[in-house]
Amino acid sequence: MSHGHSNPIHHPEVQMASRRNYLTGFVIASLLMFAATWLVSAQALAPFGLLLAIMGCAGFAVIAQVYFLLHIDISEHNIWNTVALVMFIPLFVITIGLTWWMFSQLYLRTMPMIPGMPGMH
Amino acid sequence: MHSEETVDPSQVILWSDDYEGHDPISTRTFGFWMYVLSDGMLFATLFAAYGVLSYSHSYYTGPTPAQFVAPWYTFIQTMALFLSVLAYGFAMTALKNGNKAGVINAIIAAMVLGGVFIGLDIHDVLRMIRIGATPETSGGLSAFYALTQVHAAHIFVGLLWMLVMLYQILRQGFSEDVVGRLLSLRMFWQFQAVMWVFIYVFVYLWGYMS
Repeated sequence: MSHGHSNPIHHPEVQMASRRNYLTGFVIASLLMFAATWLVSAQALAPFGLLLAIMGCAGFAVIAQVYFLLHIDISEHNIWNTVALVMFIPLFVITIGLTWWMFSQLYLRTMPMIPGMPGMH
Repeated sequence: MHSEETVDPSQVILWSDDYEGHDPISTRTFGFWMYVLSDGMLFATLFAAYGVLSYSHSYYTGPTPAQFVAPWYTFIQTMALFLSVLAYGFAMTALKNGNKAGVINAIIAAMVLGGVFIGLDIHDVLRMIRIGATPETSGGLSAFYALTQVHAAHIFVGLLWMLVMLYQILRQGFSEDVVGRLLSLRMFWQFQAVMWVFIYVFVYLWGYMS
């Protein structure tokens, strides 16, 4: 046991729990998911606008969860978690985005259009 | 200016006597955060696989998400998961005050709500199988099942972990190990909700609208 923290409950990672933050994160994410579900099921926008709108909902919901729930901020105690997340985001985006881009280009150039087969889109 | 003092190797003090050592809880939670992010990379590969297998030709003549996704049903699943994460957050605020009954009650609430999520997921899978949307039907459906069910498996593991934590809290109280594990479980559980936002919006909703 280290000498500094005789009682683990006094550790800053325990003490940073906040009922108000958890509620805020929950309410923001829930409202955004409700909005996205309503937009899609009501077909409220044209397809491209709808896609942008639900992407926005997902983005803000994730930011709210990461900030209010996971305590990712630039406070002294959490800075290294934040740095690790900042390093992780490009890997996440590149893995998905580059794979998707490569395959979409591949399909475009190689998939024959057989009559009767569903199209590319 | 260089001082020409001689240093006696047997007397020299290399580090402070009152060095407190690494903070075990912070070291563990940072390590666990690394794991959580690598888990995110696992999801990234599954998202990429779904991305390249979600063209209309990927479903060939089988059912597409537009035919088998029920947005409001999955929205209820979303709320069950978000409420479970909120309940686990309340376990953390109870832990902050050393309130053992509060921690146990909140973890039980989080388990019940997580169980609702799993129950709705299993019900949804059975419904899809009934209408013929099985994993072997098409590449698109294989990718859909792989992504959504890997997430469900994470939720299942989280529920088992909560059960273990209930037992450990009752047996050991809030020892350093137990508190460290509760903090790791918090990150794990909250991260599953973050991944679910991506799955819900980009797999279920986007699939439904295209």
